[in-house]
Formats: sequence, C-alpha cells, structure tokens
Amino acid sequence: MEEKLSSVAKTFTPSPIQELSDLAQRCNAINLAEGFPDFPAPPCIKQAAVSAINNDFNQYRHVQGICDQLALKMNKMHGLNIDPLTDIAICCGQTEAFAATVFSIIDKGDEVLLFDPCYETYEGCIAMAGGIPVYVPLDPPRWTLDPEKLMSSFTSRTKAVVLNSPHNPTGKVFSREELEVIAECCRRWDCVAITDEVYEYITFDDQKHETIASLPGMQERTIITSSLSKTFSITGWRIGWAIAPASAASAIRNIHVKITDSAPAPFQEAALTALSSPTKYFETLRIEYQLKRDFCMKLLSSVGFRIQFKPQGSFFLFAELPKDCLLSDVEYVKELIKQAGVVVVPGRGFFHGKSDLDQHSDENCRHQKRYIRVAFCKSDATLSAAAQKFGELMNTRGSPKLYC
Amino acid sequence: MSTASTQRDTVSTHDGTLQITQQPVQVAKRLEKFKTTIFTQMSMLAIKHGAINLGQGFPNFDGPDFVKEAAIQAIKDGKNQYARGYGVPDFNNALAARFKKDTGLVIDPEKEVTVTSGCTEAIAATMLGLINPGDEVILFAPFYDSYEATLSMAGAKIKCITLRPPDFAVPIDELKSAILKNTRAILINTPHNPTGKMFTSEELNTIASLCIENDVLVFMDEVYDKLAFEMDHISMASLPGMYERTVTMNSLGKTFSLTGWKIGWAIAPPHLTWGVRQAHSFLTFATSTPMQWAATVALRAPDSYFEELKRDYMAKKAILVQGLKDVGFKVFPSSGTYFVVVDHTPFGLENDIAFCEYLIKEVGVVAIPTSVFYLNPEDGKNLVRFTFCKDEETLRSAVERMKEKLKKK
Repeated sequence: MEEKLSSVAKTFTPSPIQELSDLAQRCNAINLAEGFPDFPAPPCIKQAAVSAINNDFNQYRHVQGICDQLALKMNKMHGLNIDPLTDIAICCGQTEAFAATVFSIIDKGDEVLLFDPCYETYEGCIAMAGGIPVYVPLDPPRWTLDPEKLMSSFTSRTKAVVLNSPHNPTGKVFSREELEVIAECCRRWDCVAITDEVYEYITFDDQKHETIASLPGMQERTIITSSLSKTFSITGWRIGWAIAPASAASAIRNIHVKITDSAPAPFQEAALTALSSPTKYFETLRIEYQLKRDFCMKLLSSVGFRIQFKPQGSFFLFAELPKDCLLSDVEYVKELIKQAGVVVVPGRGFFHGKSDLDQHSDENCRHQKRYIRVAFCKSDATLSAAAQKFGELMNTRGSPKLYC
Repeated sequence: MSTASTQRDTVSTHDGTLQITQQPVQVAKRLEKFKTTIFTQMSMLAIKHGAINLGQGFPNFDGPDFVKEAAIQAIKDGKNQYARGYGVPDFNNALAARFKKDTGLVIDPEKEVTVTSGCTEAIAATMLGLINPGDEVILFAPFYDSYEATLSMAGAKIKCITLRPPDFAVPIDELKSAILKNTRAILINTPHNPTGKMFTSEELNTIASLCIENDVLVFMDEVYDKLAFEMDHISMASLPGMYERTVTMNSLGKTFSLTGWKIGWAIAPPHLTWGVRQAHSFLTFATSTPMQWAATVALRAPDSYFEELKRDYMAKKAILVQGLKDVGFKVFPSSGTYFVVVDHTPFGLENDIAFCEYLIKEVGVVAIPTSVFYLNPEDGKNLVRFTFCKDEETLRSAVERMKEKLKKK
C-alpha cells in the first residue's frame, strides 16, 4: 500500500543519525553522535517544572511571561525592539517553530536557500510545504561563504534564506561580514531570513552570536527561531519560539495552534525560571562547553586528525578524515563503533548533492564523504571514556590502527 | 489581543530613526483558513466580563496525583532529553497493551505506534504524511476546527457531510454518493466533538464496507473514547478488514485531565505509520520525554480509574443537562465526550455568535458558537456547545446565572 503515502512522504528516508544510534546502542557504544547532553539539566529549572506540575499548571495554556522575557533578552543581547504581545509564538521546540514558520510563508514553488552542509530537517519541512530547497555550498575547509555563490542562487522565485548560526554540523558562527552579504541579498531580492539560533548561547573564544535581525533593514524581514533545549540541556521538554514581525508571528501562532495547540504547560512555566537565569549561568555554559571542545580536538588530533576548522560555536566538531585514511565517512564510523566502541556521525548526511555552481563538481563533492561530526555535549566522564577508547586505537608504533 | 492584523509599517532602524517601510513578510496563500480560534476569542471576552467558562474544552480540575507524581519522578530521574522520535519504547509498549485491551487487536509497538504532541499533532502528521495535494477527503460537519486547517495545509479537497439534529445520525444515502473510487480518506471523530454523538455499530459498518469497496483510508479521532456514557465506544480499526486502512488517534489529555501535557498518539499498520512518522519528524521531531514516562504509568491505571471517571462525568452531565433544560434550551442527546449541544433559538437571538456574546455579557456564562465547526456557518447558527468538564459547583453556578438572567422570548 505504498501508493497510499503522500508523494512528499515517499521522498523521505529514515534519519541516518537515528540508525547509527541504534547500532551504537546494540554495541553499547559511547555516543558522541546525537546532539543532546548526557549530563543532568540544571536543578533549579527541573524544580520549577516539578512545582508547576504540583501547582496544577497542567491544562492548555499560553504563558505570556515567556514572551516578555524573550523580548527583554532580545533587546539586551541584540538591541532589538520586540513587542511581546504580538511578535512571538511559543511552540513545541524550535522544530515546530520552524515548521510553523515555513508553513506560514512558503507557498508551492517558492525557493528556499539553504547553506550546505546543513541540518537534515529543514529540507523535509520545506518540501512538505511545497517549497523547493536550493543549496548554497559553504567552502571547506573553513566553511566560508562565497558571496558569488550566494548571489547567483537567488531567482525571482526565492522566498527565503535559512540561516543556522551557530551552525550544525560545522560549528561555524557566521561573521558580521557574511551576515551583511546575506542581508544585502535579502534586501535586494525582498526575501525573508529564517534563522535557527538554538546554539545562540554556545560560542567560544571571543566569538559572539549576532542575529541577522539586528542588521539594517532586516528586522522586518527576519523570523528568528530558537528554543530552551540546548541552552538549558532540556532537549526533551519541547519549548521553543518564533520571533517575527507581528503579521508573520500571528500566522505562525495560528498554524502552531492547528499543529499542536499548545506547548507543554508545566514546561512553559519552568521556562520562566530558565529565562531569568543569571548571567553567570550563561558564562559557565560557554566556558564548560569550550573546555569540552578543546578536549575533543585534542582527542581527534591524537588519532591522526588534523583539525582545520576549530568550532566557533554549537557543540559539534566537524572533522575531515586524515589524508592517509582511505575509508569513507560511513566506513570509518562503522569501524570506530566496532573497534573503539565510540559512535559519531558520518558527514555525508549533512551534504545535499552536487552544486550546479561548481565546475569541478565531482572533485569537490568527494569531500562530502570525508567528514565526521562529533558531539561534545557530553559529561566529562563520557569524554574521558571516549579518550581512553581512542587511546586504545593506537598501535605499538604510535600510529592509529583503525584504518591501516 | 485583537485578531486584526497589525500591519507594522514603521520600524526602528539600527540608529534609532523610524522608517516607513512596506511589510515584506507576506504570509502564504494557504493561510486563508487560519485565524485566531473562536476559543481564544471567547475566552478573552469571558475574562473581561468575569463569565463562567463552559466554552473551552479543558477541565478546571487537575489530573490524578499518581500520574503527576510519575512525571515529577521522571524529571528528577533525568529523563529530560530527546525521546526516540516515534516514542519512548516503554510508552509505545503500554500503548500497544492498552489498544489490545480496548480493541482486542495485537499490534507491534515498534512499527505501528507513533507518539505525537497531542492528538492535534497526530491529526496534522496524518494529513501531511498521507494526503497529497488535490486528494479528496470526507469530513463530517460539525468538526473540530483543526481538521479543516490541516487538510488545507495538505492541499486536500474537502467534501463535507453534515450531521443534523436531533440525533446527528449519519445520512446514509448522502454517504453512499460521497464515498467514491477517487476518495482518498474519510475522517471520523467518535465520540464526537461538539455534538456528543457516538457513531453506532451500524454506521461504522456501513462506512467500513464503502471504504473497503472504494479503497479509502479512515482517520479516526478517538480522544473521548473513555468518555462514552450511553453506549460502548467502537474502534473502526477493530472491524473486519479495517485495521489495514485505518489510522487510530488518541491522547492522554481528556482521559487524565492533563490537556496541557500534549501527549497523543497514532496507531496504524506499518505502511501508513511510516508516512505519519515522516511528517511528525518534521513537525515536532520528538514528544515531551518526562510526560511520556508518566503517560506509561497512566495507561496502566486500573479499571476502577476509568469507571470513576465515567461516574464523575455522568454526574456533571446530569447537572448541566437538567439545568439547561430548566433554563429553556432545547437540549440534544449527547452519548459521549464532555460536550452537549443545544438549540438557543428560544431566546430570540439572531445566530449562535450573537447568542454567545449575549450570554457572556448579559448572563456571565460562556458557550461556544458551533457555526465555526461547519464549512457552511449557516448550518450551525441555531446551535451552541456547552462543556461539563468543570467541577460541580462551577456547573451549578453557571446554571443559576442562566436561570436568573436568560429569559425566553
């Protein structure tokens, strides 16, 4: 009865990340693949949720206080003036905020630009809404944005650009110059920027997260999506939001109501506590993740990786396989599970086919099968255990034995 | 908060100056069907006038302690990260076990159960995963307002069959001429919101044979299945030949008075589940983890829980129905759900919306105008919906207010 599936559903394939997680689980592997923490959520936020449940905040609700706090934060962090009564939609995670956003502005045939490599979910959402994803490759090894490639991707049918920064899988934080290039294109082509800023509080060294909405002429054409999940290590609570000009926010809210009706009520209450966390919380978050980043980089270097791009944000490291490793990303990942009991994600799932812009397509596309993504949102114990496993991969001559 | 679009045509620029600008974010064409819901509008009016809210369908009492405690324990035990996309394994198992208990059907929790953020999302995922643009889908009016919206998101062509008072029986001849070879699916809500009708065995069997004959899918919204008072609830999936073409949807919220937790599910054979799961993965990706653990405990509640639930609701229903009759409404029989639909015309107001506004402002009670539940609002103009998912004192107070202030013309 496969013909009963909608044509859109038929084009979808199961998540490669999920499949490898299953293999890893069967082998009891250390999971550096999936992007969620294995350390506990902050106690006071958990307590806030517990109190909410006990105090009967368990029926459908919309907690306006979340909007008030988000408006304050956006003003403090980015200088934006957001009206908490009209400009914000609370959703079940950034996932739903993004889905509702896409459904609110994408009509059949609209083109949506995405930067490649890219988180796998955006495309599916765009396709469901009848939109056409168009990929603009970022250039390895540092994932820089080539303005020419971006500008030549715009057509009269381009409706929106999706911008995920800090970026999954590369850990790139789009620079001010790059944001200006994208902004200029949006203004010139009268397009919307849809952002995914879930890693907004996880940046390293001197890097600061800037939202494209704060650039001239951009607030009225930007829809920001984000969530509590990564900032507060509660990926399972499903509290996210979209911030947009009033008419778009209203549309997003109305769609959200028809998709899920309301975000989980007790966690909306707990969000109030989370969002009023002191500055120290966010500083500690950055510092701790930076230490984990550094640890991971050392870890990979010790088994022959040469990290050409140090993550500037997010909790992912996107590393090219060592030159003398002849395995593909998938083969490497499988071997790593079997030989070292550690699982990471093969990079190919984040790339989306040949770019029409590349004259040497085949050559350049080979890199798409040469990356692995390592998640370092894991406890020190997990990372140390992974380090030990990696250590065992070295043979007596001090060379990695994984692929010899 | 008004529903009028606030066309913001001035914006603060980076240097603080105001700039008149065109509104660049144009919303998609599909949004014609999407407005702020009637529930929100009425609730806000209710707050403004201090009215007793018998409109919006959620309880003013809370869920059982044993379920709340399970959620709290899950949070404390650290179950706060992404659940498996289609459901926490233990919860899927509990759902399969419950489904077997309720319908006698044995299903594979790994391949045939998908957990969603409420039944609302199960409906959205089913539509988006299984309906192609242009497909014909049959709906029974009056219908829950998300059906039309999500069908339009999926680009479906809606064919509507209207259920009419007094008993809202399915018009069989109309049904037979509606279900044809090019019908893709039919959506059925039983027990039915807003009328409280429960589809009879005869009606379901007739629909079933037409669906088999014409190879039509059936989407069943059964969220009120535990609030079946006047007859037994029948799951379409349990009828011969129907499981393979049915998506059965349900949720925790109504049965356990925890409507804000957003735990729902869709049960369907693997070839249909796959489509539902695909759409679900792009709509919300995963469902609230601690609540799934708590729901696992909830589903294993003893029979006494469900019996007491029914008894409580039947007592509440008796208070409301008698009260509404005493006030002078024409009350239609409701076999299930916690809703009852009445004819308001004895009170001389022009239509259902006018009546509901009058009821809020002059009497201090909220009901929902049912015209929003019809494709053609005219079909609902004589009817309004009351809910009895409120504590008994609230119900009595509402009845008193209506007896005092609502006079027949």
